[in-house]
Amino acid sequence: MEEVINALMAAIMSNQVNIPLLQPLFRLMVQIPGAGFMVSFILWKPFFAALISPGFATLGILLLFFPWVERKLCGRIQWRVGPHEIVWWLGGIIQLLADSLRFLFQEVIVHKDAQRPYFLQFPFLTFIPTLLPLLFIPAGSIVAIQTPYAIQIILALVCLFPLFIIGLGWASNSRFAFIGTVREAFMYFAYEVAFIVAVLAMVILYGTSDLVEIGAHQAGWVWGICINPVAAVVFFIGAAMATARLPFEIADAEQELAAGPHVEYSGIGFGLIYVICYEKAYILSGLMTVLFLGGGSGPQIGVLGELSGLIWFLLKTFIVMVTLFVLRVLYPRYRLDQALNIGWSSLLSLSLFALALSIAITAVAGAGAVAGAVGGGIV
Amino acid sequence: MKKVIVHEQGLGEKVVRHARAIGVSMKESVYPLTATVFYPRERKKMPPNLRGYLMFEIEKCISCWECAFICPANAIQMKEAPNRRYYPTVDYGKCIFCHFCVDSCSSGALYSTKIHDVAYRDMDEMLTLTEEMIEQPEIIREDKRSVEYVIERDDMHLKRRREQDTLFVEPTPPVEIPMVSQCIDRASCIGCRVCEQVCEHGAISSIMDTARNVLRMKIDTERCTGCGLCVKECSMQILRLVRKTR
Repeated sequence: MEEVINALMAAIMSNQVNIPLLQPLFRLMVQIPGAGFMVSFILWKPFFAALISPGFATLGILLLFFPWVERKLCGRIQWRVGPHEIVWWLGGIIQLLADSLRFLFQEVIVHKDAQRPYFLQFPFLTFIPTLLPLLFIPAGSIVAIQTPYAIQIILALVCLFPLFIIGLGWASNSRFAFIGTVREAFMYFAYEVAFIVAVLAMVILYGTSDLVEIGAHQAGWVWGICINPVAAVVFFIGAAMATARLPFEIADAEQELAAGPHVEYSGIGFGLIYVICYEKAYILSGLMTVLFLGGGSGPQIGVLGELSGLIWFLLKTFIVMVTLFVLRVLYPRYRLDQALNIGWSSLLSLSLFALALSIAITAVAGAGAVAGAVGGGIV
Repeated sequence: MKKVIVHEQGLGEKVVRHARAIGVSMKESVYPLTATVFYPRERKKMPPNLRGYLMFEIEKCISCWECAFICPANAIQMKEAPNRRYYPTVDYGKCIFCHFCVDSCSSGALYSTKIHDVAYRDMDEMLTLTEEMIEQPEIIREDKRSVEYVIERDDMHLKRRREQDTLFVEPTPPVEIPMVSQCIDRASCIGCRVCEQVCEHGAISSIMDTARNVLRMKIDTERCTGCGLCVKECSMQILRLVRKTR
């Protein structure tokens, strides 16, 4: 028994998040019998990545404050004020806390025609494809599961988003939800191919689909966006379509369909669906950061150790998210046929061009060349 | 059939326009032109000639009824006071804040304030009696700042000052056009002496013409203020207001 525990401890201790600034404090904590194990378990890289950052806790904080940031920023651009009245001297910063409390205590109405079991299950099931990719997205060197198939798994889960939205709409059994569901299915076809081809272009460029390695390749200032900007543009537009926010808010068009697939939901069910959109945006922004914006690369802050990569990653992800959400004040909504037209003509051709560009760069710089070498050869 | 021709944009023009839109959004996110006034905590500074809540000075009123006659919404009703005079009451359920009454008041008894946020509990309370119009209404002031709209470089900005705006303005005295009452048909006068009784300034006096055994009315143009009360009260309608000539 003791040997098992010792082996476990050794495994945990060998894979710790290295923070020089807090090291004396940890050494002090280790001497306390219970706390030492707790601290080393929390700092165990997979645990830290999955549950603290960039995983669950960071996501929770983001979900509490990001909608406020978005609404405030969009309000400023549109000469409005945005959330204001709840703690108005702080600009309504805990608006989302108040909203979530309201969602939590509101009655959950299941109407007569709904498919009751699925109607209640799907808001929770939708969290599977939106939370699982977090395990594979690295922030610097902090990652929960490092695997050479990270991109494939993330793409597979990302492609599951619409399936669950369609499930929501189907279980609602309402005409608005039905129309929204059909639109969601159409939108899925609009962005999916171009999106995957753009990611494929980057995989060919880096010669690997291990996200930690991809991040390491961009450690210099030669980021993916400098080498293949076309793929970055396609990925960004694809992400905007996948998150179904305003320029492509076709499925849950509030002016026409009330809320599309989520029209019948109330209370905590609606609250969960409301935050899923932000989770999607977080995951796709994180993926974009790792693929195109150098992941956790940036000026290293010595005392923070591995946390410095994490901070750069979160900062870049945040900027990408803000850019993604500010699109809604800049552009009006596309019609469904226009969005399909974009997806199947310009976006697809751009993504194919990006693929050709990647192949050409790889061929010029040598087969299987990694991005660092490519960057050295070209830039 | 006419077809609307859509202006075709080249790729370069499109890119420039998108870039301009993004630039505008970035500029606005840093330095927005938000024009929201957070009303209970701050108040927009109103111009002194705002057509707001009406106030009334009973000493100046000559009970000429002009305000009630001119009111297009029929909001002003004259009510009899204990001193047998008639004074206006305003029904704010009907009032459209045109302030014709203020303009028509020859003596400047009615005047406006900057109060524009008046609240009532029910419809009956909206009928504001004369005695309520004499006193300043009760106001709960929560505002700490006054806000002013300023136009600079073609853009409108808000200028906030840490001061409370005064809501009551000094009534401007009415522009007086010197008028005088004049009898246009002396032969029709029946000598009822209503004009003499109604005149506040003692401008009209009666003289008994013993030779013809009739009463003759005499208007003292120096004393007459041109208020028009006698004109309104004359039962034969032979009095007119004319411009005073000096």
